[in-house]
Amino acid sequence: MSEDAFESNVVALVGNPNAGKTTIFNELTGQNQKVGNYSGVTVSKKVGTFRTPYGRKMDLIDLPGCLSLTAASEDEKVTARVLRGDQEGESAPDIVVCVVDASSLERQLRLVLEVLELGLPTVLVLNMVDMAESGGVRLDPTLLSEELGIPVVPMQANKGKGIIELKQALRLPMPALSECHWDGSEAGRMEKIESVVSAAARRSDGGDYSHTFSDKLDSWFLHPISGWISFIIIMLTVFWSIFALSGVPMDMVDGAFGALGDWVSGVMAEGDLRSLIVDGVIAGLGGTVIFLPQIIILFFFIGLMETTGYMSRAAYLMDGVMTKVGLSGRAFLPLLSSHACAIPGVMAARTIPSARERFITILIAPWMSCSARIPVYTTLILLLLPGVSFLQNALMMLGIYSVGVVTAFAAAKILRTKIPADKEASHFLMELPSYRLPQLGYLVRHIISRAWAFLKRAGTVILGLSILLWALQTFPKPKEGSPAAEDSALALEQSYMGVAGKAIEPVMKPLGYDWRMGTAVIASFAAREVFVSNLMITYSIEEGDDEDVMNESLRDKLAASTWPDGSKIYTPLTIMSLLVFFIYALQCLPTTVVVMRELNSRKWAIYQLVGMSGFAYLAALCVFQIGKLLGFE
Amino acid sequence: MATETQTLTKAAAGNTWRICEFDGDGCKQLRNMGFCEELKVRKLSNGRNIICVTCGTKLVLNRKLADQVLVCPA
Repeated sequence: MSEDAFESNVVALVGNPNAGKTTIFNELTGQNQKVGNYSGVTVSKKVGTFRTPYGRKMDLIDLPGCLSLTAASEDEKVTARVLRGDQEGESAPDIVVCVVDASSLERQLRLVLEVLELGLPTVLVLNMVDMAESGGVRLDPTLLSEELGIPVVPMQANKGKGIIELKQALRLPMPALSECHWDGSEAGRMEKIESVVSAAARRSDGGDYSHTFSDKLDSWFLHPISGWISFIIIMLTVFWSIFALSGVPMDMVDGAFGALGDWVSGVMAEGDLRSLIVDGVIAGLGGTVIFLPQIIILFFFIGLMETTGYMSRAAYLMDGVMTKVGLSGRAFLPLLSSHACAIPGVMAARTIPSARERFITILIAPWMSCSARIPVYTTLILLLLPGVSFLQNALMMLGIYSVGVVTAFAAAKILRTKIPADKEASHFLMELPSYRLPQLGYLVRHIISRAWAFLKRAGTVILGLSILLWALQTFPKPKEGSPAAEDSALALEQSYMGVAGKAIEPVMKPLGYDWRMGTAVIASFAAREVFVSNLMITYSIEEGDDEDVMNESLRDKLAASTWPDGSKIYTPLTIMSLLVFFIYALQCLPTTVVVMRELNSRKWAIYQLVGMSGFAYLAALCVFQIGKLLGFE
Repeated sequence: MATETQTLTKAAAGNTWRICEFDGDGCKQLRNMGFCEELKVRKLSNGRNIICVTCGTKLVLNRKLADQVLVCPA
């Protein structure tokens, strides 16, 4: 331990999943890490800093939830390694803060004893004392402190109560840890827990069970019939809301970008710079940022399910379905998270104890349609079915999402037969946390941070790509007096983009796409979101005030496009083929990088990228060619 | 009391039971989750997965795992 008062010391937060570690981390550091009412929110360690009342700077590590230091899942192994000082490049923490849910001391003290056996200075936080006391547990923190020989701090972290006391308890040097006076065997620990609990955390009702409000809700949400009805209604509400509630804000964003384009066109002289700003930057960004309201709504509902505790109930219901394809309810949370973004979904798979199940979950996660696909789906649905109602839109979207889910499950069933079974058996076992009211402040902060991440991506990757796409379709400039100088369509055809598009047209033509659509599809491998803006650019749709007018204009241009023999290029069948391609293609390089890291295998990450993209091509090909053979247009 | 020992799967829902022992490959997983001998467990429901409450925490476990938990009346 450092003697230097100005040197920072390391404090590690340890505890069972869902004990409230991340809430305490946020309270201590003032950060806004993700908090959820289900296990597995923290899947990798997070670091922040704070100062004690004595002015000492502390580095705080929020470790993944852990049931035991001998646990099997990847996230739990991180915790065990850090505490033992085995984590590469890091020494063991100076102080460990063990966080326990005061209602479940009997279960959670086991981990505390394991930590104490390591000989690390430890402070015990009794979190959610209010809920424990209302549940009939009579806590005696002083006696608990005497029994364990460490400081004990009662706390209600979600209300900020006890934070000052915790900071005061984190003084260095900590009093020497008394020698463990229990046998380090399983039986010895159990004996110790029994004696501690019977003295310092007695249940006044003698352990009898009384129905809580959570139980009443569970009798509805976990019921074999009403549970499923609720689940389907909730999912339909999410998809309906994405369309119904986003209309007005989307029109506002669209109007703002349209007005900005008009204003820039009015104040700047005609030329390449104006074209770059209006047709490249404003059109490119506008085509992406317009979908921000839909993405905010999706994250709002996912955040709501996490913080209220409903997510675990959905996992319980889905376990029956997942078991049929060789997965369990544990895989539901990572897969549902993947609907927001595949990266956190892939990372959340760390909580799955079975190595085989984790492996399969990571491989199929990108087939859960993520938020980046929303702009593509929305545009294609409008092209396919113009003028449909919100409900029809929502049902169509639900259908598209279901295609991805069903295919992913089929793939899981096949993969299960190919991948060897786990050496150690792993069964479905999970906690159903009590329902909680959503913390609105947190929910707002969570949505703002996700929206900011989307805007940052729009302002960097997508802005860069929009400029690149503009340059590719603008240069080389046609010579003055040449036919292309008078005809913008011909100029586009002779541009770099036109040449590249023509080169890949033979590969895209069997799917029903012409060179323009081909370039939009290829560009979307860098970021799916640019697909729509790229279409707008290549079909020379001007940024306007009304999204419906722009979509109608794009629809008209697509409808008017013909092959050299005069036949129509874009039919409903072509749009279906495109939809299928976007459902299956893995067009997200960051996801491939994360999969590589999580599976510790470059080979499997590349297999996944090539396999999913190849499957997307074949599926789109089948839809188009078989549809044509069957006489569809 | 030994004759009254039965698996958690077969134990009647709505009653409180005491864990007597574990028998099977899921023993470590159960202990990691906080199950241990002498712990009282209230079985709430039967079904494909079993819901029970122990130490104020609601847990769900599949039947294969519940088959490995031997309980007797509390």
